[in-house]
Amino acid sequence: MRNKKDFHLENPTWCPGCGLYAIFDALKSATVSLELDPEELVMVTGIGCHGRLNNYFNAYGFHGLHGRVLPVATGIKLSNPELYLIGVSGDGDAYSIGISHLIHALKRNISLTYIIVNNQIFALTQGQTSPTSSVGFVSKSSPYGSKENPLDGPRLALAAGGTFIARGFSGEPSHLASLIIKGMNHKGFSFIDVLSPCITQNKVNTYSWIRRNIYRLDEDSGFSPKDKKQAWERISDQSKIPVGLIYEEEKASFEELILSDKEKPIVDSDLKIDSAKFEKILELFK
Amino acid sequence: MIRDISVMIAGKAGDGVLFTGNVLAKILKRSGWEVVTYRDFPSNIRGEPTNFTIRASLKKIYGRSDYIDVLIAFDCESILEHRKVMAEEGVILCDGEDLDKAYTLKAGKITHHPFALKRLAREHFRSEIYKNMIAQGALCYILGLDFGIVKEVISEIFLEKKGRDVVEKNINAVNLGFKESRKIIDERNRHFLLKKEDKDRLILSGDEAIALGALGAGCRLFAAYPICPASEIWQWLAVYMPRFNGVVVQTEDEIAALNMVLGASYAGVRSMTSTSGPGASLMMEAFGLAGIAEIPVVVAHVQRTGPSTGMPTKTEQGDLNQWLYGSHGEFPRIILAPGTVEECFEFTCTAFNLAEKYQCPVIILTEQDYGQNLRTVKKFDLSKVKIERGKLLTQEELLKYKDYKRYEFTPSGVSPRAIPSQKNGIHMIEGNEHDERGYRNEDAENRVKMMEKRMRKLKSASREVISPKVWGEEETQIGILGFGSTLGPIQESMKQLKKEGIKAKFLQLRTLWPFPSQKVNRFIEKHRLNFVVENNYTGQLSTLIKSQVKPTVEVKDIRKYSSDSFKPSEISAGVKRFL
Repeated sequence: MRNKKDFHLENPTWCPGCGLYAIFDALKSATVSLELDPEELVMVTGIGCHGRLNNYFNAYGFHGLHGRVLPVATGIKLSNPELYLIGVSGDGDAYSIGISHLIHALKRNISLTYIIVNNQIFALTQGQTSPTSSVGFVSKSSPYGSKENPLDGPRLALAAGGTFIARGFSGEPSHLASLIIKGMNHKGFSFIDVLSPCITQNKVNTYSWIRRNIYRLDEDSGFSPKDKKQAWERISDQSKIPVGLIYEEEKASFEELILSDKEKPIVDSDLKIDSAKFEKILELFK
Repeated sequence: MIRDISVMIAGKAGDGVLFTGNVLAKILKRSGWEVVTYRDFPSNIRGEPTNFTIRASLKKIYGRSDYIDVLIAFDCESILEHRKVMAEEGVILCDGEDLDKAYTLKAGKITHHPFALKRLAREHFRSEIYKNMIAQGALCYILGLDFGIVKEVISEIFLEKKGRDVVEKNINAVNLGFKESRKIIDERNRHFLLKKEDKDRLILSGDEAIALGALGAGCRLFAAYPICPASEIWQWLAVYMPRFNGVVVQTEDEIAALNMVLGASYAGVRSMTSTSGPGASLMMEAFGLAGIAEIPVVVAHVQRTGPSTGMPTKTEQGDLNQWLYGSHGEFPRIILAPGTVEECFEFTCTAFNLAEKYQCPVIILTEQDYGQNLRTVKKFDLSKVKIERGKLLTQEELLKYKDYKRYEFTPSGVSPRAIPSQKNGIHMIEGNEHDERGYRNEDAENRVKMMEKRMRKLKSASREVISPKVWGEEETQIGILGFGSTLGPIQESMKQLKKEGIKAKFLQLRTLWPFPSQKVNRFIEKHRLNFVVENNYTGQLSTLIKSQVKPTVEVKDIRKYSSDSFKPSEISAGVKRFL
C-alpha cells in the first residue's frame, strides 16, 4: 500500500497560505487512494506558480510551454493509454493563451484529468488581470479597473461538450481530493476548475471571499449532476458559485475511438513493418 | 523519334486539369517513360486559370523543360497565356466553343486544332466531365499510346469506386477522342512515343514519398493541421497509419500539432508533423521546447510562397532562415533538404534516426514544386531502412542505473533516455533551464554546462548527416550550388550549357544544418566562378554559405522569387551573363 510520502518529492516553496498547497495535498491523497505507482502517472504542467508542482510531486513530469499542457498530455495519452495523465494549468494557461486547446480537448473527450488552478490573476508575472478576473478588478494591467467580462470555465466546458465538469476549492482539500478521484476514474476528459486564492497578488478573491460566495452541490438533494439542463442553470446563476461535481455523462473517449489496437499501446508496437504489407501499398504508385 | 516531350493541360480550376494530367502521367509511366509533372494552380477551387504539365523522357529527368510540345486547352485564355512557351513545331488542341479570339493570332509553325471537347462530351455522354477523357483520347492519338495501358489505368481509377459502367463510359470517351482527333489532326503532327519496359518503378509526389518514409521508419503518431502544400503527407497517412497500429490526429492548430508530437515522442513513440509557411511560424515556440527539452521530433516543411498567407499553392525557398535561426534562444537542430522524390523517402527515414540519436528536432525541408508534383522513381527498398533509436533505454538497462539522470552530462552531449511507465526512470522534462535530473536550475555554471552539452550534440551529428552530392563532369570551371527543387532545372541548364561548350558541376546541399563547411569550401575553391541558385529574394542559402566558408574565388547569385520554380534557360542565361 502506498502512502502520500511516495508522491512527495520535496517540500514546496510557494507563498505560505497559497491555495496550491491544498491542491498538492489533494493530488497526493487522490493518487494514494487510487493505488497508483508514481511510474504510471505523468503530470503535465503549464507556466505559472502551479508549474512548480512537478518539482514537488513524485511522478513523471513534463513542464513545457505556457498554455500547451493539453496537446502534450494528449500526445502522451494516445501513445500509452495505460498511463494516468494529470494536466495542471493556471487560469492564464487554460483560459487565456491555451483556451483553444481546452475547447478541443473537451470536444475530443481524451481521457485525462485537467486541473485549473484558478486564482483570478496572473500571479507569477507579478499581478495582471486574468480572463477570470471580475469586472472592475484593479491590477497592474488594469489600473482603472478591468473593462472585460470574466470567463466562466464550467460554463465554457459544458458548452464545448465536456463529459466531466467539476469545481473545487483550495479551502476544502478533502472535498477537492474526492473530485480528483472521481475525475481520474471518469472515462474521457475530466475538467476541474479549482478556486484557489493567491494571497500575495489578489486581495479581492480571498479565502473568506470565496467562502462567502460558494455553496456545495452535494449538500443540495434536489441537484443531479446527470441533468445537463439543471447543471447549466446552476452555473449560470451569478448570485452564488456552485462547488462540486456539476455535470457528468458517459461517452466514448477519444483514445477508445481513434486507436486501432485496443490491447497494445502504440509505444509497444513493432517499428519494423511487414514488408509484404508495405509492398502492397507501393502497388498504389505503380 | 521523340525522346523528350512536354504536354500541358490548361483550363480553369474545376475543369479537371489535375485529374487529366495525373492520368496521362500514369499512362506515360506505365509506357516506360521517366515522368516529371509541374503545376501552376491558384489557391481557389473553381474559376481561376490553372495548368498542369507532364514532361516525359526516355532518360532520367529531374525537372521540367523550357518548352511545351503539346497543349490541350479547355479555353481560349489558356492558349493566349501559353502560346509563348510552345515549342517551334508544337501542337495546340483547343476546345472550339470559344475559339474566335485565339484564331486571330498568327500561328507561326505551331498548329492549332479546334476541338469541341465540351460539346462532344455533352452530345455523347450528356455530361461535360467526359471532356477530360475525350482529351485523353486525343493525346493517345497524338502520342501513339498503347490502348491496353490506357484501359488498365482507367479501370484502376474507376472500377472499385464507381463501377464497371463508369469504366466503360470513360473508355468510350477515350475512343471518341481518338477517332475525332484523327479527323482533324494531320499524321505529321503526331509525336509517336517508344514503349519501354516499366519495371520496379513508382510514380509519386514528394509529399507521398515522405509519408511512405514515415511509415517505413516506424512513425506511429502523426499530428497536423490542414495546410497547402503539405496536407497530402498526413491525409495519405490518415488512411494507412491505422493499419500499422498508428494514429493520425488533426489538431486545432499547428501549435497543438507540434506539442502533441512532443508529448508522443516523450512517451517513446516515433512521431512527426508536417506543415508549411504560416504553420511553421506557429510551431516556432514548440520547436524551441524540443531543443531545450531534448525531445526527438521530425517536422516536414513543404515550402510555399510567403510571407504571411502569401501564395499558398506556389513554390519558394524562403523558409530556410526560419528553421535555421527560428525560435528564440539557441539550441541544436538538423535541417535536411531532399532534392528528389527518392530522397524525400530516404531522408525521412534518416530523419527519425538522427532525431533519436541526437535527441533534437530534425526538419525535412522541401518545396511545393516536388512536394505536390509527380516523379518516376526506382521502387523504394524497405530492407534498406535501418531503425536506430540511439540512447533510448530498455527497462533492463534502466534498472541497472543507481542514479538515473535524464540530462546527464556526457562527452557526446547525448544523455540516456527513459520513457514514462518505466521503473527507475522518473524524471522531469523541463522547458526551463534545468539540471541533469531535469529540475529547474538557474545557476550560471550549470547553464554554461547545459548549453555546451546540448550544442555538443551537433558536433557528433555533423559526422554522420547526409553529405552534399556532386553532379556533373570532372574538369569544370563553373560551380553551381543549390538545394531542393533547383536540382532539376540546374541539371537541365548544365545540359544546355554543355551544348555551348560550357562545362559546369553542381553541388547539391543535402544537409543545411549542421553546415558541411569543408566540403562546400573545397567545391567552391575548385572553380573559377561559382553560382548559388535559389528560389528567393534575399539569398538565404548564399548568406548561409558566406557565413560558413570564406571563398577566395568569385561566388555569384542567381535568384528567382516569382513564385514559380526555375526554368532551365533562366539558370543558363544567369551563368552566361558572367562569362
